[in-house]
Amino acid sequence: MSEERREQEGSLQSRIIQVIIGIGGALVFPVIAILISFVIGAVIVLATGNNPLTAYSALIGGAFGSATGLGRTLLYTTPLIFTGLAVAVAFRAGLFNIGGEGQLYIGAITAAWLGVSLGGLGVAAIPLALAACVVTGFMWGAIPGVLKAYFGAHEVITTIMLNVIAINLAYYLAQNPLRQQGPIPGTESVPAEVRIPLIGIGLGRTNYGLAIALLAALVVYLLLWRTRLGFRIRAVGLSPGAAGYAGMSIGVNTVLALAIGGSFAALGGGVEILGVYGNMDVPFVANLGFSGIGVALLGRNHPVGVVLGALLFGGLNSGAQEMQFATDVPLQLASVLLAVILLLVTATRLVEFIIGKRARALAGARLEKGLGG
Amino acid sequence: MDEILGSLGPILQSTIRNATPLIFAALGGLFSERSGVVNIGLEGLMLISAFAGVVGASFSGSALVGLLTAIGAGLVFALIHALMTITFEADQIISGTAINLLALSGTGFLMVVIFGSGGTSPRVNGFESVAIPLLSDIPLIGRALFDQSLLVYLMYALVPTVFFVVFRTPFGLRLRATGEAPEAVDTAGVSVYRMRYYGVALSGMLAALGGAYLSMGLLSAFTENMTNGRGFIALAALIFGRWNPIGAAGAALLFGFAQAITFRVDQEAVPIEFIEMLPYILTIIVVVIAGFSGRSVAPAAIGRPYRKE
Amino acid sequence: MEAGEPRLAAEGLVVHSNTGATAVDGVSLEVRAGEILGIAGVDGNGQTELAEALAGVRAVAGGGVHLDGEDVTSSGADARQGRGLAYVPEDRGSKGLVQDFSLYENNALKTYDERPFSRWGWIFPSVMRRSAAENLRAYDVRPADPDARAGSLSGGNQQKAILARELSGDPGVIIASQPTRGVDVGAIEFIHRRLLEQRSEGKAILLISLELEEIRSLSDRILVMYAGRIAGEVGPYATDEELGLLMAGRGAERSA
Repeated sequence: MSEERREQEGSLQSRIIQVIIGIGGALVFPVIAILISFVIGAVIVLATGNNPLTAYSALIGGAFGSATGLGRTLLYTTPLIFTGLAVAVAFRAGLFNIGGEGQLYIGAITAAWLGVSLGGLGVAAIPLALAACVVTGFMWGAIPGVLKAYFGAHEVITTIMLNVIAINLAYYLAQNPLRQQGPIPGTESVPAEVRIPLIGIGLGRTNYGLAIALLAALVVYLLLWRTRLGFRIRAVGLSPGAAGYAGMSIGVNTVLALAIGGSFAALGGGVEILGVYGNMDVPFVANLGFSGIGVALLGRNHPVGVVLGALLFGGLNSGAQEMQFATDVPLQLASVLLAVILLLVTATRLVEFIIGKRARALAGARLEKGLGG
Repeated sequence: MDEILGSLGPILQSTIRNATPLIFAALGGLFSERSGVVNIGLEGLMLISAFAGVVGASFSGSALVGLLTAIGAGLVFALIHALMTITFEADQIISGTAINLLALSGTGFLMVVIFGSGGTSPRVNGFESVAIPLLSDIPLIGRALFDQSLLVYLMYALVPTVFFVVFRTPFGLRLRATGEAPEAVDTAGVSVYRMRYYGVALSGMLAALGGAYLSMGLLSAFTENMTNGRGFIALAALIFGRWNPIGAAGAALLFGFAQAITFRVDQEAVPIEFIEMLPYILTIIVVVIAGFSGRSVAPAAIGRPYRKE
Repeated sequence: MEAGEPRLAAEGLVVHSNTGATAVDGVSLEVRAGEILGIAGVDGNGQTELAEALAGVRAVAGGGVHLDGEDVTSSGADARQGRGLAYVPEDRGSKGLVQDFSLYENNALKTYDERPFSRWGWIFPSVMRRSAAENLRAYDVRPADPDARAGSLSGGNQQKAILARELSGDPGVIIASQPTRGVDVGAIEFIHRRLLEQRSEGKAILLISLELEEIRSLSDRILVMYAGRIAGEVGPYATDEELGLLMAGRGAERSA
């Protein structure tokens, strides 16, 4: 074997090891955070006079223990993948996209409208409606991007304000021009052919929207690590100074990152309409956007992490219903657990801090000993 | 003409009532941000305090106990944020967001545990309006300004007090220096960490006053997610007011006005959803103007953890 | 050694600092092929803003910049880099490198959108890695590992990595701003040798430094900057006194 080939093989091996260590390392802290939060949760459950073991077994059993449970879990997971990606892409550019909720509603109302008006096209209406969601989400997400890039407006505030505006806009449209006949406020249902097919096999209302979500995660991976735009987005996010010096436009990439984030959240809304509900009722779903933030942070803004994080969120919320049924524990415990996990994950600095400090102290002590002894 | 004058009083009264929680929260944000710690968690702090206040008031029958409970809750959660961001150097915005999520889910959870069901809590004795004699008889504005809850009067007093403390006392000077040039403060022998803890703690207590007024003054019960973005609107007011209590209060009054007139716009003419949007669109406009006109020049060292070299 | 054609030229350059003050107040200079023009001066007299304006990273408020005869005053850093301008900035931490990027990503920071690293919008990390591995070895960066995180390298190695990136594209003009600040002795020597090599290959080099030793040992001509202007021009054998006076603003008999 030639020198070069041996070197290449050796470096390939070491790269695989590096990747495995990287994944392992990345998982360690979220797992620790989850364990700690379950301990805290157990204390809370005890305080309400219930048995933590029954509560947790109902929780986990409810989430993954049966086909119906699993179906419900996957149903909850799907939109969270989309809103999680929406937050993650923006975070990679150093931006906080808190507007996932509103962006999802924009996509939902777009799909609710086009699903009906394009109904004549049958199945072909599905990709068209979803493509339209991507477009409207892009435009809605571009708004805070432009406001930040060209007016210096803080995107945390603008995206949150736009959430309320988007939800009200969607509700207005759902109850006026797009309103269905009858007493229930909401849009007309899209025809059966324009619904995303169910996966079946006992998984309830879970549909192929899940596949679209996983595909979206793949797209985000490719975007961030295999395209020029993704390279720029990451550079701008990690070091705007160096990116600027390298000739990259901070403004344009800011707008694009937020706009793309909006697209994913809106796509999620479209998938919810065409896959799960068939129309948009008033009121519609809530907190998918906010939970998306937790999902993205837990998943460390990586598409794989987002999918796993969404599964965790979806699982806990799904299982919580069983838990409430089996014990008295309110199902909101799931959200509390998730919030605690998030708080702990942000404190991973603490763990790194402590480990780092002790490691440095140990290294220093060893060095001293070596020199002195 | 009479009709306009007639509604001026009530609108002003409603404006002040709506602006009060915002002003409290903005004043809280002021202390935190001036010391260099971003406090996105104002929303969550207000929500938790609003809830804690109602819990305290409903179990003790006293609005004052409720107020103290609220302040306590606000302080505790603010200290969590402080611990995360100052000592453990977590990202300040992520920590604030986590506090918001915890507040939302926690209050929902406790609602069920303590009161038996979600939605709205039972009514409590809040801070009723107390008219100040003589002053409240001033035509037109008397009732609006001086027939308000005690917490509103507290707010009147706090705005100039906070101005005085932040800009005319040694403490305030140290606080501001911590936000602008922590290295200099450190060299002068003052603990940057301690000043920032003070700043964040104060932000928790002031935001708590805002939350308490919301659930025990403006309204008299706790409803899930009742803050509904007010914490962020308060932040926008702070930015537009250039991190100055007078400016922030002024901006908050503007929002209060927008919220006040949403009840008065003819629902026949404008759909209710667009009316609801009004304060939020106004917030965006304000933030854009603030950024554009260079008003949003935050304290120089804000957002970054301070590490002693 | 005879210097050739002027490759980088500035005429009456006026540049503002971030606070709006005038940092560069009418500077004209020429850097010729095969020479190293040094700019000496006390920190804060406009050297940073001058370098940024010449590199295209900072907008110019007045005057012009020419590269190989072409007017590039309104062109951005990207375009100037495309015309063969290399810039080693004084702040390697937050401007020279993306600390959290790998070395191969940093190596491609300005060329990521060109072949062979990219085609039709896609980028090819494996190609970037190979190219980086070569460059890193050539410029003695340690460790020469394309996947290493830039921030994990020492100051000297980070600086060599920047040099590797900037010089590997065979630029015609090089602006080096404080290239050895905070760098270990071995790396300083290495960097100096490389700059002299580039000079003998006919490149035009603008060297800005706060270290008089460095300026003296490398430059063919020395300009002194004071309060945003060129206070005077001297040769590398000028005395400490002459330089000192110019740097303190006491104009010599000659001025630019």
